Parts: sequence; C-alpha cells; structure tokens
Amino acid sequence: MTMQEKAAQPEVSAAHAGTVFDIGYQRYTGSREGRNRARLAVYKDGIRTALGFGRGSRAKVLPWVFIGVLVAIALVMALVAGAAQRFVGADAAEQLNLPSHSDYYGIASIIFFVFAAVGAPELLCPDRRDGVINLYLVRPLTSSDYVISRWGAFFTVTLMVALLPQFVLLIGLIMGGPDPVQYAIDNWRDVPRILGAGAAIAAYTTTLALLAAAFTTRRAYASVFLVGLFVITTPFTTGMAAEIGGTVGQWISMFNLSNIPVHVNDLIFGEVSDVTSVAPARELSASILVGWYFLWTVVPAGILWIRYWRLAP
Amino acid sequence: MSSLEALLTAENLTKRYKDVVALNEVTFGISDGITGILGENGAGKSTAIKILLGLIHPTSGSATILGQNTSESVMVRSQLGYMPEHDCLPGSVTAAEFLTHMAEVSGLPPSRARTRAADTLRHAGLFEERYRAMRGYSTGMKQRVKLAQALVHDPTIVFLDEPTAGLDPAGREEMLDLVRKTHREFGISVLLSSHLMADVERTCDRIIVLQGGRLVQSGEVTHFTTETETVFIEVDTNRDALVVALEKRGVVVATDGAGLAVEGPDESVYDLVRDALVEAEAPLRRMAPRRRALTELFQRAGDDFKGGVVT
Repeated sequence: MTMQEKAAQPEVSAAHAGTVFDIGYQRYTGSREGRNRARLAVYKDGIRTALGFGRGSRAKVLPWVFIGVLVAIALVMALVAGAAQRFVGADAAEQLNLPSHSDYYGIASIIFFVFAAVGAPELLCPDRRDGVINLYLVRPLTSSDYVISRWGAFFTVTLMVALLPQFVLLIGLIMGGPDPVQYAIDNWRDVPRILGAGAAIAAYTTTLALLAAAFTTRRAYASVFLVGLFVITTPFTTGMAAEIGGTVGQWISMFNLSNIPVHVNDLIFGEVSDVTSVAPARELSASILVGWYFLWTVVPAGILWIRYWRLAP
Repeated sequence: MSSLEALLTAENLTKRYKDVVALNEVTFGISDGITGILGENGAGKSTAIKILLGLIHPTSGSATILGQNTSESVMVRSQLGYMPEHDCLPGSVTAAEFLTHMAEVSGLPPSRARTRAADTLRHAGLFEERYRAMRGYSTGMKQRVKLAQALVHDPTIVFLDEPTAGLDPAGREEMLDLVRKTHREFGISVLLSSHLMADVERTCDRIIVLQGGRLVQSGEVTHFTTETETVFIEVDTNRDALVVALEKRGVVVATDGAGLAVEGPDESVYDLVRDALVEAEAPLRRMAPRRRALTELFQRAGDDFKGGVVT
C-alpha cells in the first residue's frame, strides 16, 4: 500500500477494528428433541399455512376475508340485539326472537364450510404435489404423525374461527344490554355451550375437508368438490325429503351435510335453529342425531388416517 | 465412530413389485466416506435408498443404519439426511423459512433450527438468496436447497439421489464440489446414487454397482482405477515428430485424444521418451502413468450395462 493510499484510509482504532473469521462448518451438538418436536413443527406450520402467515399477501386474503365475514355476521347480530335491548327493553332480544348463539352456526355454516373448503387443501395438497411429503417422512415423523398434526392444526384454526364470532357476539350482548353484569350471570351457560358447539362444527368440518384434500394434489379440485358437497346436498336433500316425507324423508334429510353439525348445535343449546327448523331430521331422536354426527366425523377421520398410513413416497 | 465401522448394512435385500424384481438379494455394507451407487435407470438405486431410509419395506432381507432398522426405529432418522431426485421444494416459501422448518421437523429446537438454517445455506452458497421465495430459483439453486435441507440437522449420513440431475456442466461441477465438501469438511458420510459414471468416479471413495436389481461390483474406486502400464504424454508442439522419434526407438505409440499413449512394460520407457522428446524438440506439458477409467471396467463387463450408464 502506498503512502497516499494509506492516507486515504479512514482511521480505525484498534479497539473498534473488527475481523470476520470463517470458522467453517460446525457440527451440531445441541439437543435433538425427536418425534414430539417434529409433530409440533408440522402442527405449527399447518396453522401458519391455513392463516397465510409467512406467505405472500395473496395467501392471506381468502382466509382473512372469510374470518372477517364470519365476525361481521356476529357483529351485526350483536348490534341488532344490543339496540333492541337498549331501546325496547332488557328481554327484547328474546321476546322478538332475534337470532343469538344457538342460531349463529345455522346462519353462518355455509360460509364456515367454504372457509374450510378453501383452507384445508392448502395443508395437504401442496406437500404431495411438490414432494415435500418425502422430506417429512425421512425425518423422525411417521405418516400418522404427519396427518394427525395437520388435522390438529386445521382443527385449531377452524375452532378459533368458529369461536371468535360467538365470543364477539357474547361480548356484544353483554355490553349492549342495560345491565352487563346481570346479563353475564344469567347467561354464563352459553359459554360451555359455545365451546361445545364450536368444537363439534370444527371437528366435523376439519375432517371432511382434509379427507377431500387427501385424494387430490390439486387444491382447486378439493375446494370445488367440498363446496359442491356442502352446497348441493342442501337443496337436493331438502327437496327430496319434503317430497317423500315420513321416516324415509327424515333419513334423506339426514344427508344434508351442512345440517349435520347444526343438529348437534341445536341439541347443545336446547333450541332448534332457523336452518334446521325446516329439516325433517330434527324429529329424530338425539342419540340418532349425535350418532350420525360421530359417524360422519369418525369414519372420515379413519379413512384419512388409513390414506396416509398407506402412503409411501 | 471409526472409519472402518459399518454405518449401514444391507443383507439379502429383495424388493418385488408384483412380477417386477426391483432388488434381488443385494448385500453390501457402507462405512465412513463417500459411497456411490451406480446403475442404469431402473437398476434399483432409488429402491435401495428408500428401503435403507425405511420409506418402503423390503420383501425379504434386512437393512440397518447406525445399528438400527429405520422402518422400526423412527428416531434413527434424525441422524439421516435425504436429497430426493425429484422436486421437493414448496415455491411459495423462502429457503430460510423452509430450512428452519425442516430442521425443526428433524427435532432441533426453533432457535437452533434458525441458526442451523442460516449456516447451512451459507455453506451451500445461498446465503444472499435465502429470503427469496424458492419459485424464483434456478435449477442449480434448487439443487443446493435440496442438499441444504438434507444437511440442516447435521446428519451422520446423507443419501443423495441423483444430485446432479438437470444441472449444466458448471452446475454439476459445483454440486460435486459440495458433495465432496460434505464429507471432507463437514464430516458427514455420503451415499450418492447416480447413473453418471464420471460423477461417481470423481466424487466417491467406494462404489456399489447395481444392474437389473442385482449387485454387480463393489469396492474402492481406486481398486477399479489402478495404474495401467500405459504412459500418457501430452506435448505443446511437434507431436508428429515425437511419434516418429518414439517409433524409431521401438516404442509402441497410439494417439489418445490430445496426447499420446505409450506402452511401457517397465520404467525404461521413460528414458526412451526423454530421448525422443529431445530429438523431436517437443515441449512436454504432461507425462503420467494412465489410470484405468471406470468406463473401461463396465465396457468389459458387457454391452447391456454400458447401454444404461452415461459415461
């Protein structure tokens, strides 16, 4: 280095001078937490994927639009009930038969199902289409671990999406009334009912949506199939049940896939919601309705598990 | 683990798919180092790797890695890495996020997984690109991410299935350098499958040759590429004059690419070559005993095999 070049260099004191060392490759000597860490990682990734976190803005749009619509429905219900309580009287919402917690899933179930139909394939289809599943299964994770973790992740998301509007509605009803504390004391039983009904609809929707996604690598095919399944069975079974009537009509009505968890919701709240009030299946016994629900949740879950258990890259 | 101790053993491995025998009573052992599985497409390389990884069950026989059966012990897989031949990368996520996730799935705690992901991407030459979504990556970059995800949890042994597939010559050379580095600098043993003989010859310490699901050859690469009695000479100019000078001294000369191949039964041939070089005034660029190439070995083994392996 010439004197001129040396002069051009900024002065750096020895205390502030830094040196970058390439220490080369370092072996990993930390802990290996095994199968539980692997399951947790797949679970966390499933939640992030379903909600679009860590993805581009386009991946966030659909889930959050649906969540927004579901919350907006609850917000409108809370505002209407609050206004009625404030301007008509404390029991106005009940007297006017305004929709409340027991009616929410009946009203919003189709939007909820579409949310699941769009979201569930994101958790399973790309892993098989891109071949990422091969990388999972050579790690300390079995195919059962994988699919159970994915199921758990989507169940968590659908449960939160099912509960959030109900709690928005609950807070709205508590705060909208003239005596919030008294309302909360009088209606505390709604909380376990909301949790139970939310869990029922979330488990049912998660299982059916993931099952459809397990049979195709194309997200769009799974989504269209699921939306068709939920939307088409409603007018089809309703029309046929009304035409035929009697016990056969009741059983045909049972095949309205949108109503299956709503019947359970009705049993939990002890009230028939607007949607199921016209379904002949509501006249069947509680054990049949609950058994039917479990059949449509447990059997698809079993098929989903077998589908992945047999999977070999 | 000593270098002589077997990392992996396969005993009479057989895999049948209905009427097709993908592997037929294959037995081999692999110790520390870089081992190549060489064979044509359909020779059973990928089937062998999948059985060793525990992804599929053999029809008969057994395989152990680090003393454990991978289909029975899931935990041993935290010591294994696998780079598949085909695409396995989600396009919508960044390489950093993907590797962090894969490290966690391998059992590493989240904070350590993030550090390992960054370090591994640096070693794979993708540090600057780590926050870009992988859909924008070139084929070479994708291959590097595939290798990085196989190394992110610091396995004891890594399985590389056709790591140079789809790469141009420069990319292929870079990938082979990384594979060599994986063992020599990182200390991770490698089992590499390829149908490219040159890749195996330049990269591996040992080879296992499969043909039609059967084990044809196995051993040290140096064993197959021993020195021959041929001396290879390359000169800058006056090659023809050198040929004349050599023939005048009774030396059998043949052209070999850009150079000359001289048959020499003993070291006296070097003196004759020296005298011929002086006489022909040919500037010597290179002179060395020629090693046998793996290619020649398989040309002798038969045309069937030669047809399936790219040399």
